[in-house]
Amino acid sequence: MLLLLEDEHKEHLEFLTSVDLEVVKEFCRIAMEFIRKGPNLKVYHTAAQKLDVNAEAVQHVVEGLMYLLTECAKLMISEIDFQDSIMTLGFQEDLKQQLVQFYLENRKEIRAILCKMSMDLPHYHNLEWRLDVQLASRSLRHHITPIVTMKLHTGDCETKEVTVLQTDAVNLLHLTQTLQQALDEMKSSHCRRIVRNINK
Amino acid sequence: MEEVDNIIIHTLKQIGCDLPDSIDSLKKFSTELVVAATVQCLRVIKDKFDISPNLPPGMSAKFRVGTALANACLELGYQGEIGYQTFLYSSETEIRRLLLFLIEKLPRDSAERTDEALGTSALMQRAIATEISRQLKTTWSAPYCKAKGICWRGTKPKLWHREGVIGTRAYHSCSLSVPYGVGDLTKKLHKELKQYYMKELAVITNQPPHKADLPASVLESNATSVTAAQEWENEWNSSGLGSGLSEQDYRLRKQQRLKKKITDQLRQGIQKSEATVAAAATTDLMQTLNTFTDKSASKTKGSRFMHAEKLQFTEDDAKTAVQMGIGEGAPKLDTEEDLQQKREKEVECLREALQGLTSQIEAMEIDMRKYTANTQQMEELILVMDRSVSDKENSYKVMKRTLDLLPDADANIAKLQSVVDSSAQRLVSLANQWEKHRAPLIEQYRQLKELNEGKVSESQKKLEEIKSFREKMKIVADETRSKEDLHKQLISEYERMTKGVNRSAYTRRILEIVSNIKKQKDDIDK
Amino acid sequence: MELSVEALGGLQLCGDSAHVSDKAFIVLVRRVCDNLLKDSTDTSVLDDEGLSNVDRAVLKLCFASLVTLVLEAAKHDSDASTISTILEDCKFTADRIDILNKIFISKKPEIQALLSNIGHTPPHIVDVDWRLDFYLKNNHVDKVNEPVYMVTLKTEEGGQEETKDVQFACSMEQLQDLVGKLKDACKNLEKASQL
Repeated sequence: MLLLLEDEHKEHLEFLTSVDLEVVKEFCRIAMEFIRKGPNLKVYHTAAQKLDVNAEAVQHVVEGLMYLLTECAKLMISEIDFQDSIMTLGFQEDLKQQLVQFYLENRKEIRAILCKMSMDLPHYHNLEWRLDVQLASRSLRHHITPIVTMKLHTGDCETKEVTVLQTDAVNLLHLTQTLQQALDEMKSSHCRRIVRNINK
Repeated sequence: MEEVDNIIIHTLKQIGCDLPDSIDSLKKFSTELVVAATVQCLRVIKDKFDISPNLPPGMSAKFRVGTALANACLELGYQGEIGYQTFLYSSETEIRRLLLFLIEKLPRDSAERTDEALGTSALMQRAIATEISRQLKTTWSAPYCKAKGICWRGTKPKLWHREGVIGTRAYHSCSLSVPYGVGDLTKKLHKELKQYYMKELAVITNQPPHKADLPASVLESNATSVTAAQEWENEWNSSGLGSGLSEQDYRLRKQQRLKKKITDQLRQGIQKSEATVAAAATTDLMQTLNTFTDKSASKTKGSRFMHAEKLQFTEDDAKTAVQMGIGEGAPKLDTEEDLQQKREKEVECLREALQGLTSQIEAMEIDMRKYTANTQQMEELILVMDRSVSDKENSYKVMKRTLDLLPDADANIAKLQSVVDSSAQRLVSLANQWEKHRAPLIEQYRQLKELNEGKVSESQKKLEEIKSFREKMKIVADETRSKEDLHKQLISEYERMTKGVNRSAYTRRILEIVSNIKKQKDDIDK
Repeated sequence: MELSVEALGGLQLCGDSAHVSDKAFIVLVRRVCDNLLKDSTDTSVLDDEGLSNVDRAVLKLCFASLVTLVLEAAKHDSDASTISTILEDCKFTADRIDILNKIFISKKPEIQALLSNIGHTPPHIVDVDWRLDFYLKNNHVDKVNEPVYMVTLKTEEGGQEETKDVQFACSMEQLQDLVGKLKDACKNLEKASQL
């Protein structure tokens, strides 16, 4: 899959052809910092002064790089596709290699950052259980009721939730069997076929 | 050898060998069974023994298993000949010998465990285990198939277990009322109360606002009543019996004491509150009063002053009026100065007269005081005189009597003597009479006192007895309860016990051995 | 098992054939169990024809005492012999004791189930639903491509008519962890059953 760059984007990135490879590296680092922590205008100014160019141009080129990296990471664009995508920019070979290498090195981290930003449902964290036997109550002195008491830990990235639940032997067996079936379902030929087709 | 085989088979079954029921002697043991039995025995004896009880199909594998088993037996100290052939090509006697040896080697504790008296905790653990295994065998059903989350299984006996809590409810009780004292014909019920019981009072099932609260309410009211009775019993035992009052009196007294305490408390409370309120009120009152008195004081002062003024003015007015009146008759010749002089003179005269009169009065008062002092002295003197007069009169009378009696002195003395004697005799007789009355009374008093003491000690003794009986009663009740528990436990244990054949088998075997020994002894003796 | 003085007094009345006839006694004992176990009180004891010749006040007292006896006996899981001792003290005839024991023992499990309904527990899992999703992408990330299970535990709570849901998502690994723990619990239950 190729990423189609817009003209304005291309314009911004063209600036890279006019600077040294070291400077490109520095720009890549700044773009990565942007993804990690957000924009830092001060860095743009110092860079602009050093290179004796407009601060706005620096900002454009950093943002352009950032956008290129995140878009590619988001779509999980492969090495070859990445190379082909930036071909249209007309970069020299060493500059292109530099960008490809940087992309490959940082793709995983960028995806992780993007994943964190995405919507999260309350997730299973942990389950604790214990076996109790109720032997007597205020209104019934001699009876035996085995009970499994459970503490279910769930939560999304911000909140953690603990639910105390209980169940009996029959329902526990049923619960276990049903969830085991759910697990087995993933190994069924139907699911495997779909997963294979999607991953193609 | 049948008995021995029975014992062996029974023991093997006990340690978990899966022997078909048709096998009743070692003759019928197949090679597979022999291997399985040996492996099972070895497994029980040694903790880690991992040879499969199923004989493998291949000949060499069979051979290997046989050798391993033989080695294991030798390791345990088996004396007889043993090898793979013992298992694979078994003879009845060899197998019997081997199995007897192995059974003897079986750890005793498994047998001891069953011998141990099953405590309540062991029974409970067993009950828990059976309950769990029963539940594990139950098939699952959807929650809406169960009434109130309870799963019913079996018909006789009906068994149930909980698979949901949809029908549960917190323990919530409300008070219930039932007719009281309707069956007792000796006591007459109030007509209105009876009427109420008959017509108005609801049946207890309809009394709680929610029907589901009925069981909790019934249990609660019963528990409350039972606890109250127990409390009363304790109190009666600890302090009620000692007080020597009847139950009713004791209750009455307690009630009074409580009432008194309550009223005291209330009174104190009221007093306290009153005191604070009153304190506040009096200070207020004082302040208001003060303001009032201040006002009135100033007013009265003013008024007094004004009054005096007024008086003066009126006097002046009167004087002037008189003067004017005088002036009307006499010609107005006197000048102001003459008048002044006249007046001064007049005043002078009057003043002198006044002084004279007051000095006179003073002198008279002094005289008066003197006279009263005198009269007092005189009165005292009179009293003293009177006393001396009466004394003298008395002495005179005595003197006169003696003088009268003097001429016939002897006779008079004798008379006097007789009078004295008679009075002395009278005294003695009176004393005797008193003694006569007193002695039986005292006797009676003593007897009664003794009797009373006896009664007191007896009652105390009885009290002690009652107390000890009550204690005994409790102890015996406790004992019966615990004995009943034990009885139940033993019964359940007894039911649990396998009533196998082995006891008779064992005894027969023992008898056989004994007879054998006897025979051998006889042989030796020959 | 201990009964209050009031209840014992009521039982004595109940055992007295001068107050409650033999026929009425059977009807009364049946009514006691039925009224406890049935949700709807269709007719009151007072309207029962079999009990029409029992004094109203006595009937109310006897009914209350029998309810107390039955509930206490069920609460303490008393057997026939225990009940017999109490009733003998209340001067019941052997016949009446037999009748009461027979009816009570047959209803005991149900009455005990009724008593076990009183109490408080955490939500009780009665069923589970699951759904398997394949998570493809979101607005930030493409090609996430991992399976996600949506698990819904159906729970019951005391005093409520409907089941409630406890919902959470699981990745494949998380579900494996959950199932592993549940299996562990099942295994331990089995172990506990083989004591």
